[in-house]
Amino acid sequence: MLASNPSAQNTAGSGRGNAYIEVRDLAVAYGSKVVVKNVSFSVGHGEHLSLLGPSGCGKSTTLRCIAGLETPIAGEIVIDGVTVFSSQKKINVPTEKRKLSMVFQSYAIWPHMTVFENVAYGLRVQRIAESEIKQRVGDVLKMVGMEDFIDRPATDLSGGQQQRVALARSYASRPKAILLDEPLSNLDARLRVRMREEIKELQHRFDLSTIYVTHDQEEAMAISDRIIVMRDGNIEQSGKPLDIYDTPRTRFVADFIGAANIIAGTAAGTSAAGNPIVKVGEATIECAPGSKLLAPNADGKHLVAVRTVYPQMRRGAAPQANQWPGKIVRRVLLGDIVNYTVQWAGGELRVHAFPSELFGEGEDVQIHIPAERAIPVMAD
Amino acid sequence: MSAVADTNTQKAIARTSALDVRAEVWVPLVLLIGALGYPFFLLITSAFNVGDPEAFPARAYGFANFIKLTGHLDWIKNTLIVATGGTILGITIGVTLAWIIHRTTMPGRKWFDLLIAIPYPLGPLVGALAWSQLGAPRDGLINRFFTAVTGIQTPLIDIYTPLGIIFTEAIFEAPVAVLIIGAAMQRMDPALEECSSVFGAGKLRTAWKVTLPLMMPAILSAALFMFTSMIGSFAIPTMLGTSSRFYVSTNAMYVLLQGYPPNYPLAAALGLVLIVLTAIAVWLVQRVLRGRSYAVISGKNYRPRQVDMGWLTWVLFAITMLYVLLSLVLPMGTLLLASFQNSNAINFDFAAWTLRNYKYVMFDFPTTQQAIVNSLILGVGTGTIGVIFATFIAIATHRSKSDGRRLLEQVTMLPQAFPRLIFAIGFLWMILTLPIKLYGTLFAVLLAYVIVFLPLAYRGMSGVVVQIDKALEEAARVSGAGAARIARTVTLPLLRPGLLATWALLFMVSVREISASLFLSGTNTQVLGPAIFSFWDSGGMPRVSALAVVQALIILVALTVVRSMANRGVKV
Repeated sequence: MLASNPSAQNTAGSGRGNAYIEVRDLAVAYGSKVVVKNVSFSVGHGEHLSLLGPSGCGKSTTLRCIAGLETPIAGEIVIDGVTVFSSQKKINVPTEKRKLSMVFQSYAIWPHMTVFENVAYGLRVQRIAESEIKQRVGDVLKMVGMEDFIDRPATDLSGGQQQRVALARSYASRPKAILLDEPLSNLDARLRVRMREEIKELQHRFDLSTIYVTHDQEEAMAISDRIIVMRDGNIEQSGKPLDIYDTPRTRFVADFIGAANIIAGTAAGTSAAGNPIVKVGEATIECAPGSKLLAPNADGKHLVAVRTVYPQMRRGAAPQANQWPGKIVRRVLLGDIVNYTVQWAGGELRVHAFPSELFGEGEDVQIHIPAERAIPVMAD
Repeated sequence: MSAVADTNTQKAIARTSALDVRAEVWVPLVLLIGALGYPFFLLITSAFNVGDPEAFPARAYGFANFIKLTGHLDWIKNTLIVATGGTILGITIGVTLAWIIHRTTMPGRKWFDLLIAIPYPLGPLVGALAWSQLGAPRDGLINRFFTAVTGIQTPLIDIYTPLGIIFTEAIFEAPVAVLIIGAAMQRMDPALEECSSVFGAGKLRTAWKVTLPLMMPAILSAALFMFTSMIGSFAIPTMLGTSSRFYVSTNAMYVLLQGYPPNYPLAAALGLVLIVLTAIAVWLVQRVLRGRSYAVISGKNYRPRQVDMGWLTWVLFAITMLYVLLSLVLPMGTLLLASFQNSNAINFDFAAWTLRNYKYVMFDFPTTQQAIVNSLILGVGTGTIGVIFATFIAIATHRSKSDGRRLLEQVTMLPQAFPRLIFAIGFLWMILTLPIKLYGTLFAVLLAYVIVFLPLAYRGMSGVVVQIDKALEEAARVSGAGAARIARTVTLPLLRPGLLATWALLFMVSVREISASLFLSGTNTQVLGPAIFSFWDSGGMPRVSALAVVQALIILVALTVVRSMANRGVKV
């Protein structure tokens, strides 16, 4: 039912306070190819929002529309009460007048300037007194730990250092909001985690709205107050990170955020508590309280998502609802986490557990899926 | 609500997918099509002109000129022989030198890389002039030396032969091939070859099955570039072939136009045949290259794997030395030597040498003095206007979202397929028909230079524009900078190294140019190339050599400046 109403599906309200940035019915097309389809959402004052999705989902394009670097074919964008774009009222405020700042995937550190000149650029555009510029550039570079590099040519910097300078540059001009376009995707894994923490720290220091575009769900969860998951130019789901993680609305979200078992079964009435029941193979699974099975897929099967971390494995547990005997067929040790594949009445189940309690391959276990962790999801 | 938004989207798509050609594309496109199309149109009409030969456009049409041309098929045959032979020899030299410099451990590679690049900007005119004194059958320096050493009276070499022309063309065009092929070698991932060795293929098999096919697009591009420029080459066949009545199309055309009365229609018909030949070559190469632009050779520069050839290294060293000797040391040495002489006969007695030829061409003789000044003005003018125009076009083709930007790029590159001598003839007829008096002005020559060298300028600037990350300009916009400020603080500083290099390249090719200016420079607008040529025509080797040395020095200074700037240049 929701799917038939693209506007409702593509609307995601503001999570906190009044809308500071508002995007209404935004549509973008390259030629006749529509890449963003009537997307609407808003960002509250000081809110940290992530646009999350696979490449080509329209998240970067949406961000670039807010910055004014792309021109939408339809819709409206309001920043701090000022309409900066409206297809109907024929308004299109140029990028340089929108008073935003942006961090680019390629950092976009000007190679012909020093670190100081890079950070001071936006301040000089604003015609701020040179003495104050010195002060502010020094302060913000200190904040990102780059104060010793102030007079270095930008070409001398490593990737992580360039990223820090790019962050300093975007905060120094005291913009209305900061837009980050996959800022960490060119860094190696370890540095990515550290920079993620530093961005979070900066977000706390400056009470600025941020929109963060990423394809990395971990980054989105770690950094934002709210996540909008996008797919094929549409908003797939929006909400607080934990809500999206725990109650994905569609199979796509369940798969894209974290890892999930997607169980396809037939409807088998409701439990005594009124929760829907799905039958898969020999097993009947009671689903989350208050949930409803959603429209079946082409095979007439209803889908239920179970996060790989939620099933519980025990040796010789007392029988209870949603518990079945199973056998461990494969175990992969990853260090912090152990991946099991468990054979049970419903087929195969992937379970991620900690190495504190290890099970061996071939071992018989009791496997329990708590009802509130079995989330009915919509097929694609 | 959603239905409204949907229909809005549909309407908006319908609006935006209509043809959208913006000013930054159509303005240069219209200018270029006019400047190329009208001369071409006049050339075609003249080729079919059977009435008054001096009517532009013609009034009576027929095929008589082409029928007359069938009596001179040897002109076309000779053109093809020289261009094909020169290309084969030039590519052989190019591949060999590029491989030696980039793929072997031969000592002094860095120096040779610099030296090998020089013959090209010196140009075919200087080359032909020098080799006519080196390789003339009777009094050429090489033959004199040969006779003195061996006592044999029959000359060792004769440069006034088709083979001599092919040889001279090849050695002065080869540096372009070294450049194009060398660049492709540097952009090839060495892992591709290493992988072949891992699977057990030997050096030869790897070279044959992996390296050569990957280099093929670059080799073909270089071959096409050489072939088209040799088809239109004027100075070498004219200076080395005319005396032995060896006619290719260009020196035949020159004779037709210089005759009395000038035979414009026949020259135009011949020119048209040459353009068709070039077009066929371009079409053939594009057909072969289609779908063969391998993604593995692009962008990133690798350090190519260098092979230690053992004792063969010294053979390679000798080959490289021989090239530098034949293309640079001997020609320049000969010109210098000749420029110090009192008469055409070269005297090795140091005491008899004089500097008065330099004094004559630089100060005493107004025509050559003016030619030097005019050539400098043209070099600066072509460099400046060409770079500005090419930068605009490069930004339009790479950054604009307008329709027609591919077409603009193709039209910009079109002059490359026009032999410059032929374009200049069409251009001359065009300015004669224009209401404004352009003929005989330096400005007319400047315009012609800008047009014929636009492909070179565009290629240079487009390479630079492509390399600049769009986000660098976007970051400035987001920081609040307007268009003018972005241009001043971001775009121009980033373009600067490329701008200077392209400017200097245009300066050099303008100073050495002869084909495009031969018919356009009048008596009051002498420029160096034609001046050297007419000097040569009327005899007086010492003076013409002095003038050629002056031209070479101007070019070498420009080259040195570029090299030192390139070394200090900002890496983008």
